Amino acid sequence: MIPNTLTSTTRNQARAGSTGRQVAARVEQATKTYGSGTAAVVALDAVTVDFNVGNFTAIMGPSGSGKSTLLHCLAGLDRLASGRAFIGERDLAGLSDRQLALLRRDRLGFIFQAFNLLPVLTGRENITLPCDLAGRKVDGAWFEEVINRLGLEDRLSHRPHELSGGEQQRVAVARALVSKPEVVFADEPTGALDSRTGAQLLGFLRSAVDELEQTVVMVTHDPVAAAYADRVVFLTDGRAVEELQSPTRESVLETMKRLGD
Amino acid sequence: MFRYALRALLAHKVRLLLTVAAITVGVAFVSGSLVLSDTMGRAFDELFAGLAKGTDVTVRAQSNDPGASLPGQVHPLDESIVETVRGVSGVASAEGSVTGFALILDRNGQPIQPGGAPTLGGSVHRDPALALAGGFSYRAGRAPAGPDEMALDAGSARKAGYVLGDRVRVVFPDGTGEFTVMGLVGFGDTDSLAGATLASFDTATAQRLLGKTGKVDQVDVRAEASVAAVELRDRISQVLPPGTQAVTSEQVSGESSKTVRDGLGIFTTVLLVFAGISLLVGSFVIWNTFAVLVAQRRREVALLRAVGATRGQVLTGIITEAVLVGLVSAGFGLGAGVGVAVGLRALLSSLGIEVPATAAVVEPRTIVTALLVGVLITVVSALVPAVSATRVAPMEALRSATPVSGRIGRVRTATGVVLLAAGTAGLTAAALMQNQLALTGVGALTAFAGIVVAGPQLARGIAAVTNSGRPGGGWSLASRNISRVPRRAAATAMALTVGLAVVCAVSVTASSIKASAADLLHAGNRSDLILRSVTNTSGMSPAVADIIKRQTGVDTVVEWRYSQARVNGNVGNVVGVPAADLGRVVDLGIATGSLADFRDGTILLSTSQARELNAGVGDSIKVTFPETGQRSFQVAATFDLDSLVGTGQLLSLNDYAANVTSRLDDMVMIKTVSSADTPAVRSRISHALAGYPNVLISDPNEFVRTEQASIDQAMGLVTALLALSIVVAALGIINTLALSVMERTREIGLMRAVGATRRQVRGVIRRESLLMSLFGALMGVLLGTVGGVALARSLPSVPTLSVPIESLAVYVLVAAVIGVLAAIGPARRSSRVNVLKAISAD
Ligand SMILES: Nc1ncnc2c1ncn2[C@@H]1O[C@H](COP(=O)(O)OP(=O)(O)OP(=O)(O)O)[C@@H](O)[C@H]1O
Ligand SMILES: [Mg+2]
Repeated sequence: MIPNTLTSTTRNQARAGSTGRQVAARVEQATKTYGSGTAAVVALDAVTVDFNVGNFTAIMGPSGSGKSTLLHCLAGLDRLASGRAFIGERDLAGLSDRQLALLRRDRLGFIFQAFNLLPVLTGRENITLPCDLAGRKVDGAWFEEVINRLGLEDRLSHRPHELSGGEQQRVAVARALVSKPEVVFADEPTGALDSRTGAQLLGFLRSAVDELEQTVVMVTHDPVAAAYADRVVFLTDGRAVEELQSPTRESVLETMKRLGD
Repeated sequence: MFRYALRALLAHKVRLLLTVAAITVGVAFVSGSLVLSDTMGRAFDELFAGLAKGTDVTVRAQSNDPGASLPGQVHPLDESIVETVRGVSGVASAEGSVTGFALILDRNGQPIQPGGAPTLGGSVHRDPALALAGGFSYRAGRAPAGPDEMALDAGSARKAGYVLGDRVRVVFPDGTGEFTVMGLVGFGDTDSLAGATLASFDTATAQRLLGKTGKVDQVDVRAEASVAAVELRDRISQVLPPGTQAVTSEQVSGESSKTVRDGLGIFTTVLLVFAGISLLVGSFVIWNTFAVLVAQRRREVALLRAVGATRGQVLTGIITEAVLVGLVSAGFGLGAGVGVAVGLRALLSSLGIEVPATAAVVEPRTIVTALLVGVLITVVSALVPAVSATRVAPMEALRSATPVSGRIGRVRTATGVVLLAAGTAGLTAAALMQNQLALTGVGALTAFAGIVVAGPQLARGIAAVTNSGRPGGGWSLASRNISRVPRRAAATAMALTVGLAVVCAVSVTASSIKASAADLLHAGNRSDLILRSVTNTSGMSPAVADIIKRQTGVDTVVEWRYSQARVNGNVGNVVGVPAADLGRVVDLGIATGSLADFRDGTILLSTSQARELNAGVGDSIKVTFPETGQRSFQVAATFDLDSLVGTGQLLSLNDYAANVTSRLDDMVMIKTVSSADTPAVRSRISHALAGYPNVLISDPNEFVRTEQASIDQAMGLVTALLALSIVVAALGIINTLALSVMERTREIGLMRAVGATRRQVRGVIRRESLLMSLFGALMGVLLGTVGGVALARSLPSVPTLSVPIESLAVYVLVAAVIGVLAAIGPARRSSRVNVLKAISAD
């Protein structure tokens, strides 16, 4: 027992970031190109970033700067051309398609901009889908808690097409949280929502980080949304060019402006 | 609109391919049936024209049946008629000929069996011109002359490995002989006459061997070059005794052709029925394709409408697509039809039905039919979806494309349930009342219509049952995908229902007939051994019965002879049996009258025949024989078990022999003395009949098994013919699954993103396929079983009902396998969905 604990602690310390906490996800020298020859597009260019446990990170950058690509490679939805991607201490490069699927199912959560839910399943079934796919029992108390926090109690038996856009996104958040994943990835989760509904959703994510030590990585274009995060990573032309701790709307705007020049 | 239609079609190649394939198979079946039938018709025409070659006029006995529809049985003429005919001016040569039963044995003493075709013995003409009949020529050797020589058809010689100079044994009605082969005979390019075996002798020898000494069956006449056949016919007619007639050879071959073509007509109709079934199945696939095509293009159509396309234009566009698909498929189908014709022929010959060969005949009628059928089926199937497309409002461009749950009208469901209930009630009533063939047909069609109309609701019901599994599990997801487009699922399943319903109905009927055959025999048979000829069509020599009668341990021998005749005007089988001994070998189930009154001059009528003829014991019945004309018999008794003996009317053997020349026995029943050991008697008989290798000895159980085997063979043929429609149904399942995978690309991508493995995604598709195929199979098996029960109860002489549970279970299993197989492609495709592409917003 003791040696085990020791080694794992040592390993975690080795990966600890500047705050001295554990790393939930990490890319090293991540490079991704699309196409070849003169038409080749470098989507990611030797990016190295850590995402710490219990931390809320926003990724920003102009359109086409590689934000989605980074998220996909981190989440095991896509593979890097070179460099390495880790979830916890697991190197994604060595995993088979099936192992990646199981990793997504058991250790990650997802929220997309739109089309998050299977139309044939009710709200409740959509939320428990990863657990059902795993044939795992849902933690009932935890399920209740997530539902209560998101105010979804009376929307559970509805199908997605009977829910508003905001409600659909909340169901997606609930699904991402209910399996207690190590990291939740969100690609412009508020992109299709009005600002008030968007603010609600970001509030939920924030409280999940604060109260539950959830790790969240979120791509966004919106400085207001980025201000909910603990840290903002800026990408330009596939490179991580800038970082901002404890961002505010103003500091984000200012950085964006500076980078834009 | 045309260019738009064309482009829309080419945009979805796989779907196009599957749809085209579905129609092609149906059209190929139709055109294949027509091609086969035309080809066979021409082959027979050529054959008969060849047979009449060299002969200008034929003199033969006049049939005593005024309808002249009873083939083959004419009284032999006295030999003196040949001289009479020769005396007519204008006759170049005239020779009598005889034909009869002759079974050629191979080197092991086994009969050479032609498989359905006759085994013939006959005389050869001396005049080489007359001998040309059928392209008759000596491939090797010369014509036989004298009592010790014969000629053999090249086909039989090849089969048995006989060469010139070999000694060959031949079985005749009255005994066996051994001859030296002096000639090998061919018929034009072919080795045999439509598959028949032929042993030829000189006229005197043939007359003696065939039991026609001093007689001829017909006189073949060649005219002098200056005299027309018609003219000569009229001259000869004037010198003929009453009861004989002269006909031109054209008339003879025309008559023969007509008989064969009438038979072919029935055969073609049967094939076309099966082709129709496969077309019906295909139409479900087409309906489905166009329904989806329209559903997927709602946005597109809405956009067209928004920019000003009229409803008519939208409709025209889709119908144009249908016509194009129909034309292309019909074209392919026509080409494939020639192949199907070859396949059907192979199927027939594998069942021992030899078909004469000639080049494939594609009549213009076949081409027109194929194109018309292909286009009409496609357009009609596409009509409903096309009309619904015109109802798309321009505003729908904004709505989501894939339905989440298809709505089903209440009226539709109610109508379906009513139809289904009415149909089932009809079938049940038919089953209870018996002999309700019409009600059975109407009931089955109504019930099927009900299943089609209520199909979507039923599909949803099935889905609801399987949905009760774990939510988010494979079954649950599959069920919900089924119930979101229940119409499509139902149409897909119905394609399978059609084929399986027919298979099951036939299966239940066949099983009942088999069980009835066994029950009947057990109920009515009292004999210990039953003898028949191995070639079912030719009888046994009466000498066989005489030999058996001399064996120790044999108590009673009853010979059965069957002949066609008219009974009070209706064509039917009449049977001749020794009146006094009949009761010792069978119990006919006498209903009225007494078997003791059955003697010469009387007739036994089956109960159903008596009812039909409105006759009772003591009434007089008119039987018209082809050879001797009308005779009257008094009804001695009526009996119930007509299906046991395969006829509704029995005469005494003496009366029969007085009116039918052929003395061949079709069946011989033997009762052993009660103290005898039947197997010992059997081996004694078998030993005594060593000279008659064509006689098959069986005990009652073996007899039933042989009967049942022939029913199984027919059942096999039907199943093989229905296999094509099952293939079409499988194509339909593949089509539907492929479409639904395409529609749900994003959903599949999302599932994969949240952690579904490829295998899980494939599992969902496979379960959908299973659900549809099992739903279709279940409906088919249920409908088919109920229909089959009603059908079996409607048939005469099927008193026993038997539902082959194991076979039905096998069909369901086969459907499941089809479901799994059909899912392979679409499932693989679903697991290859690119997750990233699928989830990135469009
Ligand atoms: N499948 C692909 N094939 C080719 N190029 C691609 C592909 N996916 C992304 N790219 C390119 O890679 C670059 C990065 O794309 P990515 O989607 O990561 O940008 P993004 O930062 O998410 O942009 P946005 O803010 O518009 O979502 C872009 O130049 C894009 O054109
Ligand atoms: Mg993006």
